[in-house]
Amino acid sequence: MAKEGLASRLYRGDAGLNIIGRRKMWFTVALVGVLIALGSFALRGFTLGIEFTGGTEFTVPAAGRTIDQVSDAVAKGLEAVNAADVKVESAQQVGDDATGSILVKTGEVSSADSVTIKDSVAKTLSADPATISGSNVSGAWGRSVTDRAVLALLVFVAVVSLYLVIRFEWRMAVAAVVSLILDLILTAGVYSIVGFEVSPSTVIGFLTILGYALYDVVVVFDKVQENTRSITAGSGQTYAEASNLAINQTLMRSINTSLVALLPVGGLLFIGAGVFGARTLEDLGLVLFVGMALAIYSSLFFATPVLVWLKNYEPRIKVHNQRVLARRQSLANRAAETGGAEPEFSDSDHALAGSTPRVGARPTTKRPNAGNRGGRPGQAGTKRR
Amino acid sequence: MRPGRQLAVLGLIFVVLFLMVFFVGVPGKSSLAERLEPKLGLDLIGGTRVTYTATTMDGSDPPAEQLEEARQIIESRVNALGVSEAEVVVEGNRNIVISLAGENRDDLKQVGDAAQLRFRKVLKATNGAGVAPQPSVSAEPAPDASASPGASPSAGASPSGGAAVTSSPTPSGGTGGGTGGQGGGAQATATPTPTPTASAAPSATATPSAGASATPAPVSTDVAAIRTEIQKKVGDAAWAAATGLTTVADLATDPTLATTLEPFSTLDPEKEVWALDPAMQFNVPQITCAMLDARKPGSIVDESKQAVACESGGKYLLDVAKVLGTDVGSASGVLDQQRGDWVVSLDFTSEGQKKWTALTREAYNNEGSACDQTALGDGSRCRVAVVLDNQVISSPEIQAVLTGDSQITGSFTSASANELASKLRYGALPLTFVADEAQNVSATLGAEQLRAGLLAAGLGMLLVAIYAFFYYRLLGTVIFLSLILSALLTYGALVVLGRQIGFTLTLAGIAGFIVSLGVAADSFIIYFERLKDEIREGRSPRSAVGRAWTRARRTIISANAISLMAAVVLYIVSVGQVKGFAFALGLATVLDLVVVFLFRHPVMTMFARTRAFLSPRVSGLGRVVAQKPTVADTTVKPRSSRVKEA
Repeated sequence: MAKEGLASRLYRGDAGLNIIGRRKMWFTVALVGVLIALGSFALRGFTLGIEFTGGTEFTVPAAGRTIDQVSDAVAKGLEAVNAADVKVESAQQVGDDATGSILVKTGEVSSADSVTIKDSVAKTLSADPATISGSNVSGAWGRSVTDRAVLALLVFVAVVSLYLVIRFEWRMAVAAVVSLILDLILTAGVYSIVGFEVSPSTVIGFLTILGYALYDVVVVFDKVQENTRSITAGSGQTYAEASNLAINQTLMRSINTSLVALLPVGGLLFIGAGVFGARTLEDLGLVLFVGMALAIYSSLFFATPVLVWLKNYEPRIKVHNQRVLARRQSLANRAAETGGAEPEFSDSDHALAGSTPRVGARPTTKRPNAGNRGGRPGQAGTKRR
Repeated sequence: MRPGRQLAVLGLIFVVLFLMVFFVGVPGKSSLAERLEPKLGLDLIGGTRVTYTATTMDGSDPPAEQLEEARQIIESRVNALGVSEAEVVVEGNRNIVISLAGENRDDLKQVGDAAQLRFRKVLKATNGAGVAPQPSVSAEPAPDASASPGASPSAGASPSGGAAVTSSPTPSGGTGGGTGGQGGGAQATATPTPTPTASAAPSATATPSAGASATPAPVSTDVAAIRTEIQKKVGDAAWAAATGLTTVADLATDPTLATTLEPFSTLDPEKEVWALDPAMQFNVPQITCAMLDARKPGSIVDESKQAVACESGGKYLLDVAKVLGTDVGSASGVLDQQRGDWVVSLDFTSEGQKKWTALTREAYNNEGSACDQTALGDGSRCRVAVVLDNQVISSPEIQAVLTGDSQITGSFTSASANELASKLRYGALPLTFVADEAQNVSATLGAEQLRAGLLAAGLGMLLVAIYAFFYYRLLGTVIFLSLILSALLTYGALVVLGRQIGFTLTLAGIAGFIVSLGVAADSFIIYFERLKDEIREGRSPRSAVGRAWTRARRTIISANAISLMAAVVLYIVSVGQVKGFAFALGLATVLDLVVVFLFRHPVMTMFARTRAFLSPRVSGLGRVVAQKPTVADTTVKPRSSRVKEA
């Protein structure tokens, strides 16, 4: 056992990590995270982009000028008024080259600054200041869009809860939805604390996490359900142990999935932020990166522990757990009487107990094939190289 | 299994999709590049921009709240046009700027209409030049017994060949019938009698005193000012003559009157005519329908005043509005099955329903003989005009007291019916706007950012592929091929949907598809990890593929159902950009399922039959397979039996 690396155990799906057992720790971490996030919402709020807050729009006659020229001129004007945090957000041309005009949108500037910027732009472009206008524009992303998005979120939670109740059971639905909410709160918390700017792309990315976070949970729960479907028929495993096994079995998949999902998002961030400075890509990449990374936590270390916690209150499971523990106790007593010799486990008990995370039970049952298993992956590894 | 058949279905989907890409909805002589071009969003290729300027009667800036309210309503209307993402912003103190992807969007011109809907009884009517006689209301029999009797005048027979309000074909049966009876009972009282006014004024040489009857309620100071101006402009004689008219001046019998009233034809339609008293606008023939139609927007919005409006060249004097657009609960454009026409179906609020019933009763009974002989329909019932802004959309004769939903019928197309319905649904604008010329506008992000997006997509795909090859060896090929397949299907769908339903691809949309790459790859991982489990448990690859598929399918469907649910809910509930994004998410999920079921599974089934599948060098599963012989059968079998019973 000791010879095997964590990686190869993970690969085979029996890393034997005790995740459920440490649920108090996961809950505490989640609680602290949520409290910090909520505190930050209240105290710091969010940094909203121009699409929400509105800004200032400068209109310059096109008259043969290029969009870049005008945009640079406005940027220079912004520097002139020392508006460090105000940037040129977008520039576009309206109408044709001769009679049309070029619009440059910036963050909001005061009307006094706007006059200074106009003069500066006029000077840079050697244009008549009277032909340049600056006016405030509202946000394109109205209250209504946000309201409807929030409404959609609530409807989604309701619909998906119903689905999970039908597909699994209500406790799983509760656990899944709670973990989704945790993920959303923590993601929003990161935004609030770090002060990343919230743009429409951010909101859209945020809504993507909805589906993604639950996706992962559903896969884990599917396995939990499979492992525990007839759990009360035997008496080898408590619900917690069976769930822990399910997490371990799907761990590799979860890690793989998260990596694979994060790879394109990372690419998006890299291209968006690093190479091209494409804000839309950057915003979307960032929120997804944060959300998906946090989803790993919420689906692995939070959803299933919550489920087990809820399940342990179900009378049927409660009785079952007690029976399993009692049986184990008596077996341990018998083992002590026979002087430490291996107790007679049935075949199925081998398998079941072997995969449980209990420290005492594990080595005895696993030892027979541990050597074989340990050797082979090593060979495979050599071949790979 | 029949992997061949599934691949054949996929092939068929491919062929159909790309036939649509190349041949459906494209102008005949498009080049290859045009046929392959997806519809890009406002941020990437620009579009059309229209500025609406709010006009107020006194020329001052409108309140900011009203402007914002108008912005939201316009935004809802624009978004009702489709899934292309529009941008609607307030600019300065009185402008609303709408930008929409695509050049020369004519449908943007109507978006800023105030859409003040008024239902007004027609009090008097003139027969304008070339107007057909009164509607022949030989109503077709009610299509089915449950409809209220006589409640469906034939739309085609109305003078404009235009429109009519009828009761909905499906009113609540009991009340409909009952009301019909009630209406029938009331028929006796509805004997049309010539209105006193019609006979009262044959001598049109007006005296100022006679004008008193035409002088309306007090008017606001600016209206009074404009009237004083007009009086100066047309001269006292003409003004006095016009004021004295109590009915439409009959120019044929009194040629001198024509000369006297002539100055009225020089009035400025936009600035002056609207301020005149409705009776004068109606009675002076020199004020033509063309002039009336050119009155400034919002001229006849005031529901507490009588109004004059035209339909097909005939002038109507309309009563005060007793039912308003705000009384409409919901509206939708529907195809009338019986007639095969598009109609706008109206559903009143409970308060609005009472008003509507009262109005139709009043019109049906011609209470107080308020409707002039000229304004009655063939059934000697009053007509009720549906007035939208300055225009009469239709003016059907009311043939029953209507208690149910109603319809506005007319020469609607699917598009125009839905457009009117969406205007009614989202409400009237609190302000009236004048649109400037629609201008084409360039992209805000432009080609470079589009390249960045595509590059990011390529990079994402490459990373996923590298990972897949590293981890699953040759099976990575299956993943890689599926991703390419997904990309092709997505692209085809984008092109087709862009043309068919106006779906536009923004940079955010592109990013969404990039993200879906990872999610698509996930269904592979679920499957392959399952496969690994099965092989580890000692199954032959061929049977493992089958079993792993059965199990993984369940998980994949559950997980994708969640994504799909998110997409559908977001699509239905949200508006604007979120809606467009939800569409992309849903599309990606559905295509993922298609690829999983019709490509990956059959390919894996075929792959499992080859020997290479077992080689650790070739397949990432090999590492598990290789252990198999050394693992004692006794330990393997119980494990698998446990899974079976689990």
